[in-house]
Amino acid sequence: MRFVARLTAILTGFLITHLALADSQQPQRWVSAGGALTEWVVTLGGQSHLVGIDTTSQHPESIKALPSIGYQRQLSSEGILSLRPNVLIGTEEMGPPPVLEQLRAAGVKVEVFSAAAEVGALQGNLQKLGKLLGDEDQARQVAEQYVRQLDSQHDWVARAQQHQAPPGVLLLVSHAGAAPMVAGAGTVGDWLIKQAGGRNLATHNGYKIFSAEAMAGLNPEVLVFTDRAQNGASSRDALMRENPLLAATQALRNKRVLEVDPTLLVGGLGPRLPEVMKALSRAFYPADSSLNAKVIPAQ
Amino acid sequence: MRVMLKPGKLFGLLTLACVLAVWLSLALGPVSLPLMDTLRAGLRLLGVPVSGDNLQQAELILGQIRVPRTLLGLAVGAVLALSGVAMQGLFRNPLADPGLVGVSSGAALGAAIAIVTGASLGGLPEAFAPYLLSIFAFAGGLTVTGIVYRLGRRGGQTSVGIMLLAGVAMTALAGSIIGLFSYLADDAALRTLTFWNLGTLNGASYARLWPLLLVCAAVIFWLPKRAKALNALLLGESEARHLGIEVERLKRELVVCIALGVGAAVAAAGLIGFVGLIVPHLVRLIVGPDHRVLLPASALAGASLLLFADVFARLVLAPAELPIGIVTAFIGAPVFLFMLVRGRT
Repeated sequence: MRFVARLTAILTGFLITHLALADSQQPQRWVSAGGALTEWVVTLGGQSHLVGIDTTSQHPESIKALPSIGYQRQLSSEGILSLRPNVLIGTEEMGPPPVLEQLRAAGVKVEVFSAAAEVGALQGNLQKLGKLLGDEDQARQVAEQYVRQLDSQHDWVARAQQHQAPPGVLLLVSHAGAAPMVAGAGTVGDWLIKQAGGRNLATHNGYKIFSAEAMAGLNPEVLVFTDRAQNGASSRDALMRENPLLAATQALRNKRVLEVDPTLLVGGLGPRLPEVMKALSRAFYPADSSLNAKVIPAQ
Repeated sequence: MRVMLKPGKLFGLLTLACVLAVWLSLALGPVSLPLMDTLRAGLRLLGVPVSGDNLQQAELILGQIRVPRTLLGLAVGAVLALSGVAMQGLFRNPLADPGLVGVSSGAALGAAIAIVTGASLGGLPEAFAPYLLSIFAFAGGLTVTGIVYRLGRRGGQTSVGIMLLAGVAMTALAGSIIGLFSYLADDAALRTLTFWNLGTLNGASYARLWPLLLVCAAVIFWLPKRAKALNALLLGESEARHLGIEVERLKRELVVCIALGVGAAVAAAGLIGFVGLIVPHLVRLIVGPDHRVLLPASALAGASLLLFADVFARLVLAPAELPIGIVTAFIGAPVFLFMLVRGRT
């Protein structure tokens, strides 16, 4: 009897693991319509699932070979179906809604995530991604680590602010230097400045074009900029050439101009933000160097 | 300008083009379906009992995506071209396009209000947002056209010249308010607005199709009945009056037709430029200005052009998709230039 029971147990066990394996081995084909989400999928090791990405997914380099499904708000139902996906992930910005309905009707699991620049939203997103990828533990660890990084960042900023008042900062997004837009409240840029311990001098909502005079008038102590057309020294030169009035600001006189990657600023909080934040903090509070981050050279 | 084709021959060719366009629009897409599957799925959708192994995907793509999209393309193309003819007849000017009475800019203004305030209210419920956009666009088009028509009225008469100028001014005014809304918009709303201004047949569904099909059927049914009156109007307003045409009533009916037709088309598919201006012009180059031929021929040509453009738009960047407004102009403008140059020599 014991033998039979054992045999049954073994067989049942075998059957269950076999079924479970069959289930998880079913090829999962994902389409991602959100820059930060795509980055998180890659971070969580799900890159092999991806069969298509939208135009806001620009990072890492390795995903750029995937077919593009166009802009997240202008998805094409048949185009996406042609990639034979099981899952479409994206933020609440993705659309248009009739296309999402058609995709659901075609049996595609449409998973909507939050694009809010808030840690709570990010934790929810990671938990959901973990569940979809079948590795909730890893997702939880990644989320915890993210929060730890933010916490130590807060502590560091609090300590740094004992010696130095928070600097006034402007974050400019420009195209080859021309007509820079200033990041205001509710943007990832604003969140980044605040987390890094800066004081965003712009108080409007979203991104707005400022005149050079208005920017010079705010007289930022640090200027953070990002350029969609160029990078490195050429983008810095372009910005100065197009906006000569900026030369009068404290930031330029003290050479406190920093560049960030424009792909960081779209689609909610991405995995690369903590590192960039550290670098910004170092530049905001040059006297405190207790964080071991690489500073983006100011010149 | 010489007549190149007999009307009968032209109708034959245009019908052929239209059938071809419908066939391509049903048969081609980013999902490549075997021809036999498409046919069998099509028969099944028509209620013919065909054995349905492995036809679920074909049926879904044909029934839920390609058929509504094709119907939308046919209706929008036909109605835009017809409104173009009506407009050019009303203004007795081949350069008039439906936008002149402010219907497009009014619709764009309505759309801008819906998109930007919708976004600043933290996003509308997903199921409701597209309807709101369509309703606002339609209402915006009707309102601005209504104002333009009112401004053109003087002592029981409608002055086409004043309507034209009022249309230009209202378009400028609407443009500046749209500008204000785009300034207030966040990045995402701005992108939506830009894409809306380029038009698309993407995401067509039966629920949103019926209102347009009704309006379209009304316009297609009614406008050709006024072909003779439009012909008389070509001679001039007083001449038309002497021929026994109630000119004021005709003008009012034409404006209503254009506002309803273009308003509904724009509400369903966004702004699609070029079709309303160039298609009637092109047809006129081929068969001359007789509205009895011009109206139905333009409807067929507009519908075919839009479907061809849409097939191109959905295939060229697949799995992404090009806004159709880009394609209509890209295909149509060179053809138009070619016709112009040939017509001159």
